[in-house]
Amino acid sequence: MTGRRLLHLLLIAFVLAYPLVAADSPVYGRLGALVLLGAIGASAWNIVGGYAGQVSVGHAVFFGIGAYASVTGFVHLDLPPIAGAPIGMLISVLLAAAIGVPTLRLSGHYFSMATIAVGELVRVLSSTSDFLGGAQGLGGPAMPRSVFDLSFVSATPYYYIFLAVLVALLGLTHWIEGSRMGFYLRAIKDSERAARSLGVSAGRYKLYAYMLSAAFTSLAGSLYLCMFGFIDPESGFGILISVKMVVMAALGGAGQLFGPLVGALILVPLEELSNSYLGGQGAGLTFVVYGAIIVIIARFLPSGLLSLLERRKVVRRAD
Amino acid sequence: MSMTLVQVVVSGLLLGAIYALFSSGLTLIWGMMNVVNFAHGDFVMLGMYTAVVIWTALGGGPWASVPIAALLIATLGIASYFLLVRHIMKGPMLAQILGTFGLALFLRYGAFNVFGANFRTLPDTLVGHSFVLGGIRFEGSRVLAGAVGLAVTLLLHFMLTRTAIGSRMLAVSEDATAAQLMGIRPQRMQALAWGLAGAATGIAGALIATFFYTSPTVGETLAIVAFVTVSFGGFGSVLGALVAGLIIGVVESVSAFEIGPVYKEVVVYVLFVLVLWFRPQGLMGKT
Amino acid sequence: MVKVTRRSVTAGAGLFALGMAGKASAQPATVKIGVIYPLSGNAASAGNYSKMASELGAEIVNNGNAELAKFLPFVSPTGGLPGLKGAKIQVVTADNQGTPAAGANQTLRLITQEKVVAVVGSYQSGITETASAIAEKYGIPFLTPESVAANLTERGFKWFFRTTPVAGDFARAYADFLKEQKAGGKKVDSIAIIHENTEYGNSVSSVIADTFKKDGLNVSQNISYSANSTDVQPQVLQLKEKNPDVAIFISYTSDAILYTKTMKEQNWKPSILIADDAGFNDPKYVKEMGSQVEGLISRTSFGVGKPGSVSAICDALYKKKTGGDGLDDTSGRGLQGFFTLVDAINRAGSTEPAKIQAALKATDLKQDQMVAGYKGVKFDAKGQNTLASSIIVQMKGGQYVPVWPKANATAELVLPYKGW
Repeated sequence: MTGRRLLHLLLIAFVLAYPLVAADSPVYGRLGALVLLGAIGASAWNIVGGYAGQVSVGHAVFFGIGAYASVTGFVHLDLPPIAGAPIGMLISVLLAAAIGVPTLRLSGHYFSMATIAVGELVRVLSSTSDFLGGAQGLGGPAMPRSVFDLSFVSATPYYYIFLAVLVALLGLTHWIEGSRMGFYLRAIKDSERAARSLGVSAGRYKLYAYMLSAAFTSLAGSLYLCMFGFIDPESGFGILISVKMVVMAALGGAGQLFGPLVGALILVPLEELSNSYLGGQGAGLTFVVYGAIIVIIARFLPSGLLSLLERRKVVRRAD
Repeated sequence: MSMTLVQVVVSGLLLGAIYALFSSGLTLIWGMMNVVNFAHGDFVMLGMYTAVVIWTALGGGPWASVPIAALLIATLGIASYFLLVRHIMKGPMLAQILGTFGLALFLRYGAFNVFGANFRTLPDTLVGHSFVLGGIRFEGSRVLAGAVGLAVTLLLHFMLTRTAIGSRMLAVSEDATAAQLMGIRPQRMQALAWGLAGAATGIAGALIATFFYTSPTVGETLAIVAFVTVSFGGFGSVLGALVAGLIIGVVESVSAFEIGPVYKEVVVYVLFVLVLWFRPQGLMGKT
Repeated sequence: MVKVTRRSVTAGAGLFALGMAGKASAQPATVKIGVIYPLSGNAASAGNYSKMASELGAEIVNNGNAELAKFLPFVSPTGGLPGLKGAKIQVVTADNQGTPAAGANQTLRLITQEKVVAVVGSYQSGITETASAIAEKYGIPFLTPESVAANLTERGFKWFFRTTPVAGDFARAYADFLKEQKAGGKKVDSIAIIHENTEYGNSVSSVIADTFKKDGLNVSQNISYSANSTDVQPQVLQLKEKNPDVAIFISYTSDAILYTKTMKEQNWKPSILIADDAGFNDPKYVKEMGSQVEGLISRTSFGVGKPGSVSAICDALYKKKTGGDGLDDTSGRGLQGFFTLVDAINRAGSTEPAKIQAALKATDLKQDQMVAGYKGVKFDAKGQNTLASSIIVQMKGGQYVPVWPKANATAELVLPYKGW
């Protein structure tokens, strides 16, 4: 077992020291931060989509709320964008309750469709709101006024902030995994009917998972705004954002603690690097490659990449 | 009711029939195999490009492009089934979303690569001109698309419910194992379903190309419409897709006219969500 | 260990000499300029044309052009930048994928990995906002030839420059144009503005509506529709019912095509049909629908101009490059922006960012040096080109020709709108 422990320690050391490793390359430093941001969003989604099995394809709603809460705090009240994060999280949780109560009753595809519809609805409505900057969107502080504006040149501070948030989120998820709620969620995911017949109030626990997931997705949105400084209806509420969260978690392994992180580790660099090396000529090759890789992984590893490890574990135990 | 409003309703019905046409393929797959095809919009897009290519390369109109598009997209559908869908069906629903989304990107940007980013349009004269009937203007290409849409959808429905092969397909969708015990080969039926769905989608694309612009990313817009139509009508119900399509077409048209174009989407989505809450199985889906 | 052969010694000596030469001249042999545009996604068509415009600019400078060298100080008859001892330009392109995030990330790559000396881009205003913010952080000049959001020059940035006119300028041009028509006896009592509801359509339409109100022009309908609609019949029917005297469209290419087709289907023609830039100026639109919109009025900042002018020469070269499509408003402005940057680098005689920035601030290009139809290029303290302007053009025989103001007109304005 010491071999494995050593490997884990090395991995943790690498993760902690990555910005130093990538110090010479701002692009790779930034890539690290982007991977972590993607992992936060996907891990947040994982709580309701992976663990509770409720596949929401409209999570961008909460992401956008977080981003808009941050930017409107700046535009209308001169607050540093991060101050809007708790407000965004609160609004997201409330909205999740409002959406969740009627839609979580729906099963499988119907629920997914409903989340898509709500997501699109919010996107269209946001483009008509002057308070939210309409279709033109809103920009954060052009020049950082203080360190609290979280507007850095180097990606390193972002990396560590995102890492801290991810660790907290994964810690929370891990705790849920081992708690009674985690137990109930697994039961619900396996067979909701059976769980209900055993007295589990499925509706309530699904709702909790949804609300918790919404809160952290919103936080991801606020962090995105701090880093990129601009949001509009498409980049905040667009369906592609929702889909990416799902794809990242599914690719790595939904319902697994580190699944979303693995997914982010693959997809984010894949997208960035293929755009950098293939995109410049405008032949759309980036996405052809991206799409092909996703298809191949879905075809051969429908339960995500981490299932590879699971298989090895099973094999080992069989020896 | 003013003449303009009648015109609005009529154009909504025609639009709705077209929505129904390209949604019927989606609902067939969904109902039969519980598979969400995120690449559906891009199947339509490829049908559209078929029509564009046949026009630019051969000068052919819909009489040529419709059957060819039907054949091509049917093949694409069957190929997708054997190479991808058959495998992801074994996995969780997430795998379906993942796989078909990847397929969508692949097709979309493959088309982008081959055809370029520019929009193509087919000339109006390809399918007759506008004509006026009873004070209402009808546009040739839309009428053709609407009529064919109606016909194909009804044909599909008839095939599923009244023919032997249709009942075999439905048997597989109800219970694949039981069907197998009865001597029906599920994989063959499922492949057939993908072929039929592909054909319907290809026909839709080829017809839509006669009055709508064609571009690699047009599938994104159309996919959402298809999803809404199918959910509204009820998964698996081709007739439901028809009725839903017509209703959505009219609601969209009338709201755009009365309230404002941006809000037409809002109305449709709100209506959609309400239907899902009060009648999740859609208008005509099974409970 | 390298084997000591005669060849290796000669090679080594050669390299040594080059190395010495390199140290002696502090000027590089290539000047890398970053160009970032949407090369995928919905705006890919326009992005691609703009990219080709930048590439053409580099080719002109690198290969030299005797005719243009008479007007443009940064072009020599034989090739290379005169101010940098014949250094060549290398254009490094990146795809902004239509998202602000990709725009920012790619700009970072261009600056820190590719080590470009300046960046040109990025079409969509929201993306220009995030991309230029990165350039500002790294102290690299960022020039936008076509993003029109007003706030871009209000951020207090020191490294941001914009050559294109903004929405306020377009609105002014339209207002003056319509007032002149009114004074000339044409009916301009009701004006409908139809615009797509993303950043472009919303920002331009609201500025137009405000300007018109101030000038006493009556906006009777303001229709906002979703870009990439599947159907616009209800909107056209709405317009047909109210039948305004003037209709102004603010759309991208796909909607432009859809509206034109639908207007023909429903047989509706306002007496004055105006279509703002973007979609209706896209060469693809002009090619596909030009013959059906005879008399369509648009605004542009590009006109081919008289033979032998800078714009005409560049248009001919661009046609060769694209295989038939000439410069249009977007690619014309793109080329103008690129040239402005190159002019500054040439005058700076160096690739140091601070020197380029100073040279940009001192830019003073004259009207006869323009590719785009501006009065010239001169930046104010905020980085905005104060001499940017537009002209009104009309579709005649499948091509846009300038008709207003009279000083730029090469043809008579013909009203009412003829269409098909």
